[in-house]
Amino acid sequence: MTVHGDSRASAFRRTWRKVAASTAVLGTGLFLASCAKDSPQDTWKPKGDAARKIDNLQRPVFLVAGIVGVLVCIAVAYAIARFRDKGQPIPKQSHGKPALEIVLTIIPFIILATIGAFTARTIVQLADTKGCEMTVNVTGQQWWWEYDYPVTEGNQKYGITKPIVTSGELVIPAGTCVLLRETSRDVIHSYWIPALNGKKDAVPGRVHENKLEADKPGYFAGQCTEFCGLSHANMRQWAIALSEADFAKWVENQQKTATVYAETDESPEAVGYRAFRQNCSRCHQVNGMQNADGTPTIAAPENNIVAGSAPNLTHLMTRSRFAGETFPLLNEECTDRLTKAASDQLGAVYLEGVTSSCLNRAQLEAWLRNAPGEKPMYVKPDAKGLLRGMPNLGLSEAQIDSIVTYLQTLK
Amino acid sequence: MAIIEQPRTDVALPAGAGAPAYVTPKQAAGMFARPVAPKGWRDWVFTVDHKKIGIMYGVVAFVFFLIGGIEAGLIRLQLAAPNGKVLSADQYNQMFTMHATTMVFLFVMPMAAAFANYFVPLQIGARDVAFPRMNAFSLWTFVAGAIFVNLSWFLGGGADGGWFMYAPNSTKMFSPGHGVDFWAFGLQITGIASLVGAINLIVTCINMRAPGMSLFKMPIFTWMVMVVQFLLVFAMPVITVALFLLSFSRGFGGAFFDVKQGADPLLWQHLFWIFGHPEVYILVLPSFGIVSEVLPVFSRKPLFGYKFVAISGAAIGFVGWGVWAHHMFASGLGPISVLVFSMATMMIAVPTGVKIINWTLTMWGGKLKFTTAMLFAIGLIIEFTIGGLSGVTHAVAPSDTQQTDTYYIVAHFHYVLFGGAIFGLFSGFYYWWPKVFGRLLNEAWGKANFWLMVIGMNLTFGPMHIIGLQGQPRRMYQYDESNVHTRFWNAISTIGVFFLTIGILCFIVNVVITHRSKNPKVKAPLDPWDARSLEWMTSSPPAAHNFDAIPTVHELDEFFHRKYAVDHDTDEIKQIATAEDIMAEQMAHAEKDIHLPSPSYWPLVVSIALPIIGFGVIYSHIFIAVGAAVAIMGIFGWSMEPSVAPKDDFEPPAPTDGNIKELTA
Repeated sequence: MTVHGDSRASAFRRTWRKVAASTAVLGTGLFLASCAKDSPQDTWKPKGDAARKIDNLQRPVFLVAGIVGVLVCIAVAYAIARFRDKGQPIPKQSHGKPALEIVLTIIPFIILATIGAFTARTIVQLADTKGCEMTVNVTGQQWWWEYDYPVTEGNQKYGITKPIVTSGELVIPAGTCVLLRETSRDVIHSYWIPALNGKKDAVPGRVHENKLEADKPGYFAGQCTEFCGLSHANMRQWAIALSEADFAKWVENQQKTATVYAETDESPEAVGYRAFRQNCSRCHQVNGMQNADGTPTIAAPENNIVAGSAPNLTHLMTRSRFAGETFPLLNEECTDRLTKAASDQLGAVYLEGVTSSCLNRAQLEAWLRNAPGEKPMYVKPDAKGLLRGMPNLGLSEAQIDSIVTYLQTLK
Repeated sequence: MAIIEQPRTDVALPAGAGAPAYVTPKQAAGMFARPVAPKGWRDWVFTVDHKKIGIMYGVVAFVFFLIGGIEAGLIRLQLAAPNGKVLSADQYNQMFTMHATTMVFLFVMPMAAAFANYFVPLQIGARDVAFPRMNAFSLWTFVAGAIFVNLSWFLGGGADGGWFMYAPNSTKMFSPGHGVDFWAFGLQITGIASLVGAINLIVTCINMRAPGMSLFKMPIFTWMVMVVQFLLVFAMPVITVALFLLSFSRGFGGAFFDVKQGADPLLWQHLFWIFGHPEVYILVLPSFGIVSEVLPVFSRKPLFGYKFVAISGAAIGFVGWGVWAHHMFASGLGPISVLVFSMATMMIAVPTGVKIINWTLTMWGGKLKFTTAMLFAIGLIIEFTIGGLSGVTHAVAPSDTQQTDTYYIVAHFHYVLFGGAIFGLFSGFYYWWPKVFGRLLNEAWGKANFWLMVIGMNLTFGPMHIIGLQGQPRRMYQYDESNVHTRFWNAISTIGVFFLTIGILCFIVNVVITHRSKNPKVKAPLDPWDARSLEWMTSSPPAAHNFDAIPTVHELDEFFHRKYAVDHDTDEIKQIATAEDIMAEQMAHAEKDIHLPSPSYWPLVVSIALPIIGFGVIYSHIFIAVGAAVAIMGIFGWSMEPSVAPKDDFEPPAPTDGNIKELTA
């Protein structure tokens, strides 16, 4: 029949090419993925215990899957080559061989049962949080993470005698299992540092535990991975593992309160302090800040923000990024110095914080000038007058300048 | 059966005489007199013929395939390079939500319904489905729901919560526009269509098979369709409940997902995925059925292990209910649940693997013809295998916690749904086009169509494996290179979309030239593929009554066994009859007084009522009353309309020649 009159040989060649192309894509894909460079979120480069357990499990699974895939492709390619219509008689109308069927059902069953056994073991190991001394409460909200280090028995061993509240960057001691207790203040988020462990969702009204442990000091990228609304793409996080000595220094500094400037002080920092208090402190807490009458300035984000929270800025300049880790607080050169620091140098570089020569001033000013122009946020108040994200505050250039001057003191 | 008696239209009528026009129906107790033999567009809009309904399902679904494809194209353009500016964050979120919603609910499901509607009655030797008016109701309700979902684009923006629409991000506080309302109510409406259609097809498969067709002589496509209809019957109520909870939370202050009032947002996830996982099989099993028809025809061998394939389809249907939480490995279930669902997910790979093995063994030892339909079927085996194997890698729950919500998952389910479901549907287009339209699609354009789609899909979705394993999460309107150095692979992925687009354009061109061509070669012979099942035992396109004589079935692949027999001397298979011989024999034994269902207005009236109620829920409650009134009127008219129209609805025809006089005597 004419519809079948196509050149069989070329059909075979093309089919073979297709089979080859498909396997090549999968094969090279997996190969390249396993040796990609410079991808800080690479899921195949574990830098901690939990991630390594996952990695040890998934490598053989990928290998087995790859082999099965290649076998299927070879079988299909062979059938295409061997059994194409060369004018042979119509084959016997056999409906199959039950014995072969059963064998070919049992083989995948055995493969999967073996994988299943190892999977079960790893699931149980990963769920075991007994060895975790340190605890950090991790709270997601649109579109940033808050970390709060409670004063627990375990945490006191690391010098945490007053609660520490920070955001964006999770600072942990290397070589220690840290238990994250995750929750959310609005929608569902998911905490993920691929080099250290898999994801765990942060769900409002629930607390989910997830453990992280870094082998060595290091700077590990992550992102929120549960779709959480408009600026989901801009909700980032980093984990910074420091040596125990460096971590102790960090803890000590984080427990300090900010400088109080006299109301009569006319230094640029003091002017900025008052500008901050007037424009920013409704939402952003700076520990130690005082009102003009000497009472503590307490932020009330619950009156302004849907999630009821805004980042605590007491030690803003100890972080390397801001606004949900969307923007670098360090200029390009200093960012490079930090991200490329060798493991034993990292602590020293990180603890320097944002010096005035390193500050990415243009980005910080742009944010203060018009935050929603820099990062998509819902800044139209809802029926209760609440916002999701930081609005354009209509600050003058002079106010922006003096607020930036003040922010630089928050070390 | 809702069937009225009507003097049959005889196949022996001289060409052009057509059906005798004798139509002055009386007004029944309903408001309108029923249409009896409408012409032109009315013939389509009021029809209850399963074949016309199938074609309309297909046309509407294909339009939504193009819309969903445009949405996908915009997504890939945005992601062609880091920090894309084609779409804003808000537009991007709407785009990926509506892309998935469109492809799942408005393309693959209704396209599978198109094939099921058209071919199930033909494959089992029936004249129509069990409930023809309910069938029309399914179609128009689906169309109403599909349009309703997409109206949101013009009324303030599409839904923006992802097709999985996780609470509480989907509640009024976090998605204040009307997009999610349109989405929820629109899917509620298409859900009614699916549910009604499912009941209809189950009854059809169980009650209306030709004499002699036991369940294990039923063609495999019909088998898979039947499994899918059972899945729908149990899955749709779950999503219905979930969508009502969402609609009530948004529209009437329900607190089903409000944590402050004690709710647990994981409720939504469980409900959604108890529906959502069987949904995956709802999408892919019809295509498995199609390739299980195509591979034997072009291998000239029966399906290897037919019973195993049928049973494994049913097994997938059962085990598919026990794996929903593998979509939730990162959501904080606790280790015991994770372990159980991880094991169950691995076990569902066994019956799926059985299918791959059986398809390969069907080709083994065959006499293969590489038509476009066959190429798409072979393409499905390979691409689906890749998707299935990446599926095994995230059945391993700890591994999944690294992969979930990254592009690796996007790669996985596009290999399963594009390489699986869509390749199967295209295989079906090429295989059954001559049956439906009496014309053969052009094979050269078809091959171009196939190869461009294969290249396109591997270029588009292959690199996503890499992108995902390098840690690029999904649902991000922008990515920046400080986190993922995947500029190259993202660009390749976008280039792949151009190949896909041209491939799909080839299909459209193919359809246009096939139907415009005056070349007599495009006219399909009676049995162009030397096929095996009953739908090829009648004319192409089939007459309104499908078969002149309902065949009695003796074998699986009945049609093949009527054409071929084993020569006992040489033990070789010899042709004993041609399709033309078999057709002639049927015509010689044509049955008199064939019963055919008659058109009706009422299914359409009830369907139109549903979106009116939807507008009422969203904008003004008065429309709920208006819509309800229309629905009640429609149901009343429907129930008053006799299933067997009175004889005097038909005037005796004015005899124009002896032939018709004889027929109506």
